[in-house]
Amino acid sequence: MDTFLAALFSGTSRGAIYALVALGLVIVWRGAGILNYAQMGQAMFSTYIASTMIINGNSYWLAFVVAIAVGAVMGVLLDILVMRPLSNKKKTELLSSESMRAAIPVIASLGILGVLQALAGIIWAAEERGFPAPYAQEGFTVAGNVMPFTSFDVFVITVVLTTLALTTLFFKKTGVGLAMRATALNSEVARLSGIRTNFTRSLSWAFSGAASSLAGLLITPTSNLSPNTLDLVLIIGFTAAVVGGLDSPAGAVIGGFLVGMVISFVSFYDTPEDVFLAILAVLILVLIIRPRGILGAKDARRV
Amino acid sequence: MRAVSKSKNHSIVRKSLRRTIFFVILILLAGSSFEPYNQAQLALVLILFIGVLSVTLLTGISGQLSLGQGALMAVGGYCMALLMTNQGYSLWVAIPLAIVGSALAGLLLGVSAARLTGPYLAGTTLVIALAIPTLANRFMSVLKGDEGLPVDVGYPPTWFVNLFGEPSYEEWQLYVALPFAAIALFFASNILLSRTGRMWRAIRDNETAASLSGVNFSRQKIFVFVVSATFAGLSGALYGLRGLVGPSVYPVSLSLLLLTAAVLGGIRSIFGAFIGTVIVVFLPDWIDAVLHSFELSEQVSNFLPALVSSLLLILTVVINPAGVAGTHLHKHKHK
Amino acid sequence: MLEVKNLVTSFGSVVALDGVSFTAQESKITTVIGANGAGKSTLLRTISGLEHAASGSITWSGKSVLGMRAEDIVRGGIAHVPEGHAVISELSVEENISMGSLFRRRKFKADVAAAQDEVFELFPRLKERRKQLAGTLSGGERQMLAISRALVSRPKLLLLDEPSLGLAPLVVEQIIDSINILCRTTGLTVLLVEQNANTALGVADHGVLLSLGKVVADRPAAELRADSNLRAAYLGY
Repeated sequence: MDTFLAALFSGTSRGAIYALVALGLVIVWRGAGILNYAQMGQAMFSTYIASTMIINGNSYWLAFVVAIAVGAVMGVLLDILVMRPLSNKKKTELLSSESMRAAIPVIASLGILGVLQALAGIIWAAEERGFPAPYAQEGFTVAGNVMPFTSFDVFVITVVLTTLALTTLFFKKTGVGLAMRATALNSEVARLSGIRTNFTRSLSWAFSGAASSLAGLLITPTSNLSPNTLDLVLIIGFTAAVVGGLDSPAGAVIGGFLVGMVISFVSFYDTPEDVFLAILAVLILVLIIRPRGILGAKDARRV
Repeated sequence: MRAVSKSKNHSIVRKSLRRTIFFVILILLAGSSFEPYNQAQLALVLILFIGVLSVTLLTGISGQLSLGQGALMAVGGYCMALLMTNQGYSLWVAIPLAIVGSALAGLLLGVSAARLTGPYLAGTTLVIALAIPTLANRFMSVLKGDEGLPVDVGYPPTWFVNLFGEPSYEEWQLYVALPFAAIALFFASNILLSRTGRMWRAIRDNETAASLSGVNFSRQKIFVFVVSATFAGLSGALYGLRGLVGPSVYPVSLSLLLLTAAVLGGIRSIFGAFIGTVIVVFLPDWIDAVLHSFELSEQVSNFLPALVSSLLLILTVVINPAGVAGTHLHKHKHK
Repeated sequence: MLEVKNLVTSFGSVVALDGVSFTAQESKITTVIGANGAGKSTLLRTISGLEHAASGSITWSGKSVLGMRAEDIVRGGIAHVPEGHAVISELSVEENISMGSLFRRRKFKADVAAAQDEVFELFPRLKERRKQLAGTLSGGERQMLAISRALVSRPKLLLLDEPSLGLAPLVVEQIIDSINILCRTTGLTVLLVEQNANTALGVADHGVLLSLGKVVADRPAAELRADSNLRAAYLGY
């Protein structure tokens, strides 16, 4: 019973983070039609910045805010410097092929990931660092038993759920949110409505950048910070997004928690080494049985 | 119905043969004039060239973006290493068997990936690429986890020494890699020029139209994966021959390296694959040569090549997606 | 007043607009008619900024709009209702309408609400279905919605591309009537592209006949309507 509870709690708190990563991926996918593989690279980079700030004596919360802001700014820079020129390219022979048109942004984002990892190496020597958590990471004690649930876990879940709630409200209730949704769904009609689609697309990138930085900050305390640690998180986030449906923010959340549970239970009941294989299995299963994901639209935008 | 006449087949073979011979001569000339360090680099180019060809065939010609070619290389490497250490086969038997093994892996990959496109395919193959180190740890007893399997490349056979004299270690690397690279080049050239190549390009350029015109789509797609896997497996086996087969030898960055080389050089041609491999292998040396008057900390110099090649990748994709060789491409009749 | 002079738009080697010149008078309905492929839609898309002209000039109220971005042209008072999918199915009726007035919210907050009330008055069916997703509406309702979206941006020039496409004659009549009323009461300038020349000429003040990217006739609508030779040659009736 103990193991079960532990797995359950761990699954929930990790799941919350994966939900955040998946959400970031979905926002850019819907807003810009691109799967951003550099996302966790951005997160890694901003977490390093936060870590450096903390090491230099700044408060955790200041570093926290700065990291998220840096993530947002990086997202915008990515859009302006790389993604927009990409989509503005005139149709050359290479780009007339469907698959190359789909492949090129992916390759670009991989290039960005490489740049970020190399830069991290150059700036911070790729040294592995610990990263502090703002709250205790020991389990609560209830009736003399230590529960496998820490106050940090509570913090994570609260932050993620709040973020998700705020994001949903933002998209549903505000003008800017409407503009972003419109741009994502049909940019021509959006432009004809006077919406500055370049701006809203950059906003999507900013959001996604901020969300992934947040995820990076929340996940690093339980592992270590190095240029490559977050690769695994990207894979998990990707799987979560696919499971939930690449074009559904709600799906991303569900996918995140689901995958978090799977990983957690595999870790606790089997061995952590099998986690990767479990993720792969889940991914392939979903792609074979229900490729559009749990909440994905049936005729989802052509990939 | 045999749409291509026998004479056309012959001319394709002849053309490929010509290219291969030219290639071999070029390499031998370069190899003999290089100093040992560069000879070893050249050998590495040949080995990775085969791997990059797997990307060219899969992505450039057929439009399937896979980020897991490094994993297929690992399959080839592990097959060979296991056969050599556990079963005691010589490398001349182990390598062909390793190719068969990778073809099977390619078949598996193709069957599961045939329905995927674009980012889904890329993401899934990336997951597979990342799974290799885990597998090695999971099956520790056989695959020896992080440590890996050491491989002994052996000595040049006596008949060789009698004919050509004793080669240096670097030269021997070159002489082992060259025939395989030549064979790979020959087959790649054949495929590109043949009807198969045309079908693959049709799949790449317009999946909808290709399926409408009756091309048996998923079967071809699977075939592409199998062929590409054989190239990757061969490359991986040769790569492991350099001494060790283990997760550290086939990291995710290897897959990205192959992709970078293919894109930089020109993803649609064999020539591009070669140029790209040369760039990627010699880049650290070139950077060194340019910057060695500057006092750079080890930190910077370790990561500078990666930074430069990633930047080049981005620049290529944004400014000239066809790569270095791409601009020469429209001189040729076929794409 | 909209002045188009020697407009040339091409797609690769295909020249869609081959030196088109005409004027659309203020507060009048000008219709652009012609067979399929004549370049009518391309003309509207070039005016609204979705396509780039190779050469020529487009002036609205004395200012050139050539080369401006589509979203800025809208903000400058030119609204375009493209043919076909001019609404976003996944958003609600209300959201679709709001989209059109988003850019006005800061400066003209009160008017934004007034504009929405006005289009609901014009098209009561939309008011009934305000919370429904646009994808669930009938063809006629979707067209009304698209027009509403354009109207709430308070345009001075309205570009309408084949509003009658795929709609029942009764619905078409209703929509055209509404446009007519709008023009006469508010002084809106309308540029109406129509396949159904008869209907268009019935409500328009002026007509421009396009054929293969060139202007073949540029006359008062009544004259065009009466010219049976022209009609037979270019419009098939």
